[in-house]
Amino acid sequence: MIVKKLIEKIEGEAELEFDFQDGVIRNVDIKFNLYRGIEEILKNKAPRDALVITPRVCGICNHAHLIASVGALEDGINRSVKKFEITEKARDIREFTLACELIQNHIKWLYLTIFPNLNRVLNIQESKNYALKAMYVSNTVTKALAIFAGQWPHSSYAVPGGVTCDPTFVEVMQAKSYIEDVIRFFENVVLGIKLEEFLAIKSVTNLDKLKGDFARILFMLGKNGFGKIGQSYDRFIVFGNSKFSMPGKATATTVSGADIKFVQEFEQEGSFAKAVKYKDKFFEAGPLARGIVAKEPVIKSMHKKYKDSTLTRVFARIYESAKLLYVANEILKNLRIMQDSCTLDSKIRLEEFEGIGVAEAARGSLIHKTEIENGKIKDYQIITPTQWNLANGAAAAKAMIGLRSENIASFVFKTFDVCSVCTTH
Amino acid sequence: MARKPKLLWIQSLTCNGNSHSFFNHSNLFSILSHFELIYFPLIETKYSLEDVLRKKVHSDILIIEGAIKEDLTKGGVNIKELIHHYAKESRYIITAGTCATFGGIFKQSEPEKISGFAFDKENEKEDILSLYEHRLISLPGCPIHPKWLSYVLLMIINRRRIPLDEKNRPQELYGFTVHTGCVRNEYFEWKIDTHGFGHKEGCSFYENGCQGPFTHGSCNKILWNDTSSKTVVGTPCFGCTEPDFPKERLFSTKTNMGIPQKMPLGIPKRAYLTVTGIAKSFKIKRLEKKVIDYEK
Repeated sequence: MIVKKLIEKIEGEAELEFDFQDGVIRNVDIKFNLYRGIEEILKNKAPRDALVITPRVCGICNHAHLIASVGALEDGINRSVKKFEITEKARDIREFTLACELIQNHIKWLYLTIFPNLNRVLNIQESKNYALKAMYVSNTVTKALAIFAGQWPHSSYAVPGGVTCDPTFVEVMQAKSYIEDVIRFFENVVLGIKLEEFLAIKSVTNLDKLKGDFARILFMLGKNGFGKIGQSYDRFIVFGNSKFSMPGKATATTVSGADIKFVQEFEQEGSFAKAVKYKDKFFEAGPLARGIVAKEPVIKSMHKKYKDSTLTRVFARIYESAKLLYVANEILKNLRIMQDSCTLDSKIRLEEFEGIGVAEAARGSLIHKTEIENGKIKDYQIITPTQWNLANGAAAAKAMIGLRSENIASFVFKTFDVCSVCTTH
Repeated sequence: MARKPKLLWIQSLTCNGNSHSFFNHSNLFSILSHFELIYFPLIETKYSLEDVLRKKVHSDILIIEGAIKEDLTKGGVNIKELIHHYAKESRYIITAGTCATFGGIFKQSEPEKISGFAFDKENEKEDILSLYEHRLISLPGCPIHPKWLSYVLLMIINRRRIPLDEKNRPQELYGFTVHTGCVRNEYFEWKIDTHGFGHKEGCSFYENGCQGPFTHGSCNKILWNDTSSKTVVGTPCFGCTEPDFPKERLFSTKTNMGIPQKMPLGIPKRAYLTVTGIAKSFKIKRLEKKVIDYEK
């Protein structure tokens, strides 16, 4: 029996087709319909124009697209035009603004997706305005982001050689206050304990210290069996190297190196989204992958007890929000504003090269590939994290197989933090 | 008490950036409290998308996000047709963002099939305008500025007339240029370039492609995220509120004999050249050097 479901409010929509046999989901077809042809639009444009066009792939992770896009240009320039390095200041500012975007994203996912949908699945009536919490964090953390990047969404402040901004300490201190406001919210509302106290937890057995919304969501998920469902391939992949991620791949918790040259993209019948594999295998990208590959003790402990279940996946994303807040605050504490913001001449000619850029977006590794010929973009390819997770047969589909209810399955699907617009682009 | 107006937000071909930009408004919930929120793509609403698609809801104020594409469907429903269904009964139709207003970036993938709701780039769609002209408010920007949208919504609630220009844009927002209020204006006055990227000093109009002086919008009057703007952080304005967004070569200024090809809005070339000649004949030492000496 085929059951169709229109999934909404996932940065656009998706249509899921559940194939039930004897009351059990045997297969799920995932369809995305909103194709906009960004890669085609980029052809024949000036190389740097990608910094303005690619953020428009996605309203919620636009900044990650900017960072991947500038990375692709810099990789190409470094390999074929001129050797250069960006300053520690420029790198730190980029990592800070990217961290802010991830925090914005994760908190929206927690309060706009997870809480309301879990309540719906479990038939819990509540009149709490979770959206207000999401708005507060998103509003505050993007203020800190905009201090350096000018605006969110859709900044283009990262350019080959660094960043366009040259902040004074007035701006740095202002940004720090915003981050401290978000940390205070996180401690009072999400964790119920101090941030550093939470980040010091290494084992599942110590999670009983948690109070607040995080404790509540873990309790609801645990009590309703989500520690046993939603398991997927148990294979993880990360390409971004930053203060909050290290590159590598993992099978269960065994970590090894990963090389972008083994990433393949291929068409899928009946969907505008392309699938992605690494050496012919599906991998999962995102906060859980980052936690596993970086061997975060508490993520390993969760994984040991609950495998790659829905509970572990949700835990990893909220845990990462806490870590990102800590990292963002540390970056501002040590920011060397006296260094140059941009080390590359803005008039340097971009005539002919190929470059690959990577950023860890909220949902996982984002890859941009640019090919420049005669001073114009000849070809541009974007591989989004959701392509790793949401292709037919990939991590999210696998996590839904074996479940007995399309409503539970849809919730499991949403815990991957689905982004429809990125998947098709 | 009079019933609250029904607010319906429909997405066509979009990146969701306008939804996220508006969601970031620090006064979001007090603004929304004046309305019955029928549908908004980011938060829980009383009605589902399915209800909207099946025409089970009603609209007083319709907000359109995204470009109009002839054959775009969701859940088997043609979105262009759906938008017209709700537009007919709405007292106000707001095109939120450059895609919905003029076609925007995504128009470039299939220019014949994709356009704004009532404008196709700068061209009026007469059939649409004849139906909706007196109810239409254009709010271009990629994305929309949250406070520009809240201004319009609150003007409606307060029953105040919104003065519009020839493209149905509110004059109080788009009568200014992005240049208005830019912190680099002193450098513009004395024609001092920023010399590359990453400097507090200098103006981006001469070399880096800044379109602020001829772009309609209040980005430097009503700051982004309450804190900043592109030009404040040394990024050129890309003219994202304009019908022809995005133009080409966005990070460099097109020049003729060293003079920017496109003049500040409404300024005759002769006036510009005269003022530039005079300004450039002086060397203003204070503006030629770094503002802050961190060695001291």
